[in-house]
Amino acid sequence: MGDSNLRARLPHGLSDVFFEQAALKEKLEAAAGHVFAQWGYGRIYVPTFEYYDSLTTEASARTRSEMYRFFDRDGHVMALRPDMTVATARVAGTKLYDQPLPLRFYYIGNVFRHVAPQAGRQHEFTQAGIELLGVSTPEADAEVVSVTVATLVAMGLTDFQINLGQVAFLKGLLDNTSISTEDIVSLEDAIERKNPVEINQTISRLGLDQSTENAIRAIPSLCGRDGVLDSARKLATTRASQEAIERLVQVYKLLQDAGMGDHVILDLGEARSMGYYTGTTYHVYAAGLGFPICSGGRYDNLVAHYGKIMPAMGFALGIERVMLLMDEPEPLGPDVLFATGGYAECYPLITAMRQSGLIVEQEISGRTGQELTNYACQSHARRWITCQAGSKFIVHIGDDTKTYSPTELAEEIAIWARS
Amino acid sequence: MGPLIIALPKGRMQIDALELFAEIGYPTDESDIGRKLVFDDETGRLRFILAKPSDVPTYVEYGAADLGIVGQDTLHESEWDLYEPLALNFAHCHLALAGPPEMREANLRLRSGVRVASKYPNLANQYFESLGISAEVIYLSGSVELGPATGLADLLVDLVQTGRTLVENGLVELDTIMESQAVLVVNRASHKLRFEAIQEIINQLALRVEERRPKND
Repeated sequence: MGDSNLRARLPHGLSDVFFEQAALKEKLEAAAGHVFAQWGYGRIYVPTFEYYDSLTTEASARTRSEMYRFFDRDGHVMALRPDMTVATARVAGTKLYDQPLPLRFYYIGNVFRHVAPQAGRQHEFTQAGIELLGVSTPEADAEVVSVTVATLVAMGLTDFQINLGQVAFLKGLLDNTSISTEDIVSLEDAIERKNPVEINQTISRLGLDQSTENAIRAIPSLCGRDGVLDSARKLATTRASQEAIERLVQVYKLLQDAGMGDHVILDLGEARSMGYYTGTTYHVYAAGLGFPICSGGRYDNLVAHYGKIMPAMGFALGIERVMLLMDEPEPLGPDVLFATGGYAECYPLITAMRQSGLIVEQEISGRTGQELTNYACQSHARRWITCQAGSKFIVHIGDDTKTYSPTELAEEIAIWARS
Repeated sequence: MGPLIIALPKGRMQIDALELFAEIGYPTDESDIGRKLVFDDETGRLRFILAKPSDVPTYVEYGAADLGIVGQDTLHESEWDLYEPLALNFAHCHLALAGPPEMREANLRLRSGVRVASKYPNLANQYFESLGISAEVIYLSGSVELGPATGLADLLVDLVQTGRTLVENGLVELDTIMESQAVLVVNRASHKLRFEAIQEIINQLALRVEERRPKND
């Protein structure tokens, strides 16, 4: 197959975005950026590709297998970023290790994952998110969750639910045992699928004591509100698992104090995580969508790989997934389509319109009469204006027309700009 | 909130599944069965949709259905991002390697290539890879027994329930690749957003499946 066969095609898993969808995407990104900035987060731009070794720090086998890899001219293995967190951690560890803490960063950018065709997943997609580096208090966890809520609300969502979990609970239960990392991963996978047969098979292989086994079996059903904390406290047999639960209690309390309790469900069965998560984690679900729109978590060990011990927490939101929840956007069209007919007298008026905030499209194809009317309708122009002799302006709205002098039109502009 | 939507595979499993739901208190109108693709149970709390068996996980993963019932063979042939909280103890069968009787003596590991016809190319490939056998798996969408009969393939990998089809075609079972039964699958987001309603169904089903099991099982 020659290249010419591919020239007009787009590879699977990629998409072009334009017209109303592009406007919607731009609006959602702007809403997110605005909220992040209000909470004191500054923008960070990181490269689209880096050394594979750098981006795979603490990455799970799954993330590694999903990464796009290629060689640079010197034979180094490079990769497209699968998320923004690892690169931000690298910046913090290698460049910002002596800066006052915390560091608050936000990003909006595309990430790349070669995933098997699955619900709501593209190979390139846009993430908006924050990283809060250098502080490990419950207040830091609550802040990141609160920013998530504020962002979703600013985007116009109300019906969503945050499933708040703690990856340290399971790890804490296994704290004093000699279980290998692989076994922990297969246990997390079984809990992740809520498959009791698989959980039992894995547990029986590990030779744990009875109370630990019971606690692990109970994990998938530890989902709800305050009652979950009591059940979890009873199951926490090790110091590390008790601390993990107490942490969850504190974060939950802070979120309730901040008036966000209604959105939060405690869910210790949410074992899935990015490989680098160490503590509080969460996913956000919205009615009408079969997969999460957001996920976040604490990653206290990641930055240390880049030379500085620095606890951190962040979240990322999938812009395309939020778009799936939005109503079909209105068709885009200019406020005014202006056919000057070559009269220079039009230009001061056009400039005044744009200055007052109106979107003005100029007719540059020489259309007049019915042709102009047809085009104005097709392009969803709210009104169109033609000019006679440089002194009369005819404003068309639907089938109505009205004629204005330059002074009258200048007054009319102010009215349009307000509506 | 509307009814919970449950995707069922058309055919034999659909009847068994509806019987199970009837036993836990969600009976359906007999006249709907086999006639409609979408119908509610008599309580109005459940809505059933009938799909091609291999499409059930798709409906559930995308959230078009909250729950689904599917055979483990179909489920594990592809990768899905689903919860699998319960095995339902019906539609038992197994995925078998089969071929002409003379293949009993063959040591597949020592052959440089063996051709296998199957509707389950992924499960077949995983099986051969795990045993170090170089196999060329040929995908067929049905009548897999024809593979060895026509010389298209040396062996086949297919579901076996009674084994009669194999015997009729002069084939024998050579190995069991996996046991299979009907399982319940749940959409991740639904499980979070409608936790109590879904957990109640899971608990009711689990209890009933346990009651149905013969005591000396």
